[in-house]
Amino acid sequence: MNDNYPSTTGARPGSTDAVDAIVGLTPSDPLFAIRHARHKVVHATQGSYELFFDPSSQGLPIQERLLVAWHASLLSRSDALARHYRDALDRYASDAEAMAAIEGGRVDSLPPSRLRAMLIFTRKLILKPVEGDQAALEQLRDAGMATADIVTLAQLVAFLSYQIRLVAGLSAMKALESL
Amino acid sequence: MSTIIKNKGYTNETLEWKAWLDVVDPDNCTPEQTEVLEMSHPKAKVSDYYLFLVHQPAILKQRSEAFNAIMYAPGGLARADRELGSLVVSRINGCVYCASVHAQRFEQLAKRNDTVAQVFDEPRGAGVNEREKAIVQFSIRLTEEPENIGPDDIQALKDAGLEQAEILDLLHADAIFAWANRLMLNLGEPVFPPPQA
Repeated sequence: MNDNYPSTTGARPGSTDAVDAIVGLTPSDPLFAIRHARHKVVHATQGSYELFFDPSSQGLPIQERLLVAWHASLLSRSDALARHYRDALDRYASDAEAMAAIEGGRVDSLPPSRLRAMLIFTRKLILKPVEGDQAALEQLRDAGMATADIVTLAQLVAFLSYQIRLVAGLSAMKALESL
Repeated sequence: MSTIIKNKGYTNETLEWKAWLDVVDPDNCTPEQTEVLEMSHPKAKVSDYYLFLVHQPAILKQRSEAFNAIMYAPGGLARADRELGSLVVSRINGCVYCASVHAQRFEQLAKRNDTVAQVFDEPRGAGVNEREKAIVQFSIRLTEEPENIGPDDIQALKDAGLEQAEILDLLHADAIFAWANRLMLNLGEPVFPPPQA
C-alpha cells in the first residue's frame, strides 16, 4: 500500500487512485467502469486525499494528519483504512506515545498538546458529530491552532468520514459482484 | 415552498448559519479564494459557511467539485432520490441545517413532501414505496454502521429496482453528507427565522 502513497499534489492522470487501491478495484472489475464514469467525483476524491496527505503541505505536519486519519479509521472500525494509514505512518518518525494511546483508545491520557486536542476533536467529530460546540473549537485555539489549521483539521476528519463510507460501500458492491 | 413542516426540532423553513470562529472578509479575498467561492455556490460570498471554509481554498475547491458532481450531475440516480439520501443522513446525524436545505430540494424535485414529513418524524421505516424505503434503510445503515455494510445491503437496493450506477450515486450522496453534516454541526450553528407575528 505504501507504494500507492502520493508524493505530489494534484490528481495526476495515470497516478494510482487511493480508493481503487484500498478497495482492490481494477479495470477488470465491472464496478471499476461504473465508478470511473463519475470521473469528476473520482478526481475530486483523489484530489482531496492528495491535498490532505501531501508531505510538503503547509500547516499541520504530515505525521499529525496521519495520526488523525488512523484514529478516525480505528474509531469507525474500518479495517482497510486503518491498515492503510497505519502503513503510511511507517514512513515517518514515529510518536510511540501517541500511537499507543490511539491504539488503546485512550487519547485523553496524553499530556496536553496540540496533537492531543486534535485527537479528542477527531473522536467527537467521528462518533458524536451532533455534540459539536463552540467550546470544542476554542479548545483547539487554546492548544495553539490558527483558524486556517482548524479548518484543515475539520475538513480532514469530515473527508475521512466520507472516505470510510465510500470504501465500505464500494467494497460491498465488489463483494456482491464476485458472489 | 408550500407547507411548513416542523417536527422533532427539524424544519423545512429556510435557515441561516453562522460560524463560531472568524470568517474571511469577502472584500479582502485572494484571487484564488474568490475563484473557489464562485465555483462553490452561487451565494458563497455571503455565506458564513463558505467564507469560513475558504481559509483553505484548495481544500474547499476539491470538496465543492466532489459535492457538486455528486448532487447535480445528470444521469444515474434521480436527483430527488439523491436528495432523499442526503436528507436521511442529515436527519440521522442530527444536522438541522442540512435537513432543512435538502428537505426543500427534495420537495422541489419530487413535487411532494410526504416523505419529508415521515423522515422528520421517524426516519426508520420512512418512504412511500419500496424503492424509497430501500434508499432510506441503506442511508441509515451507511451512516450508523459503515463497518457492517455488505453484499446484502447492496442486494436490497437491487431488489428495490436500483441499477448498479444508481447505487453508486446513492452511496456518493450518502457519503458526501457524512462530510457535509460534520462541518455544519461542528463549525457553527443554524440561525432560525424570527417567529411570524
